[in-house]
Amino acid sequence: MLVLSRRVGESVVVGDDVTITVLEVRGDVVRVGIAAPRSVAVHRAELLAELATENQSSASPSEDAVASLTRALRERR
Amino acid sequence: MMRAVAMDDETPTLQELPVIEMARPMPGFPEDQRFALVHLDDAGMLGALRSLDHDGLEFLVVPAVQFFPSYAPEIEDDLVAELGITSADDVVVLLVVHAGESLASTTVNLRAPLVINTITRRAAQVILEDGSLAVAAPLVA
Repeated sequence: MLVLSRRVGESVVVGDDVTITVLEVRGDVVRVGIAAPRSVAVHRAELLAELATENQSSASPSEDAVASLTRALRERR
Repeated sequence: MMRAVAMDDETPTLQELPVIEMARPMPGFPEDQRFALVHLDDAGMLGALRSLDHDGLEFLVVPAVQFFPSYAPEIEDDLVAELGITSADDVVVLLVVHAGESLASTTVNLRAPLVINTITRRAAQVILEDGSLAVAAPLVA
């Protein structure tokens, strides 16, 4: 990991198209602005981790779970 | 920007598609590019997205419109271009199901729906901005 120190108002440029700027520091919260083309996805790391975990937990349910769900949905109609 | 809204109740929303290509990989599954979408029931309420790259990997999916009729995720222009979408009618929105012990404990991911262009067969699990949409929302009330 490249580690840099920045003051409020200073920026870091990543690749050709992404600029990260420190906008404000208040207590232990740092507000950052990210300028990037719309084709570059920007997400909070913990959200991506949560989605990966949820997908992993959802993947390949047991045959019993599938049968049980199919039956329950049929009964619901 | 386009909104994927439920257009028509009679339109079969879970059609079988033999090969779907992910324009972006699903979070947690960077190696899985190609999937087949198959029915698991006759009513088109439950399907499986089966990996063509890894035997045995599958996700249970439901058409969002059947369970959340007013759910209308926004599709950014970039994604519209990546999936080659020319009409909202070509788009199907599915939700990844996390099967629980019972229907009551079964959840779906409303924060990251699966958007599929049925014409180009390109798809992506889109991460929506709305923080109020649950990653594990109850499938049924």
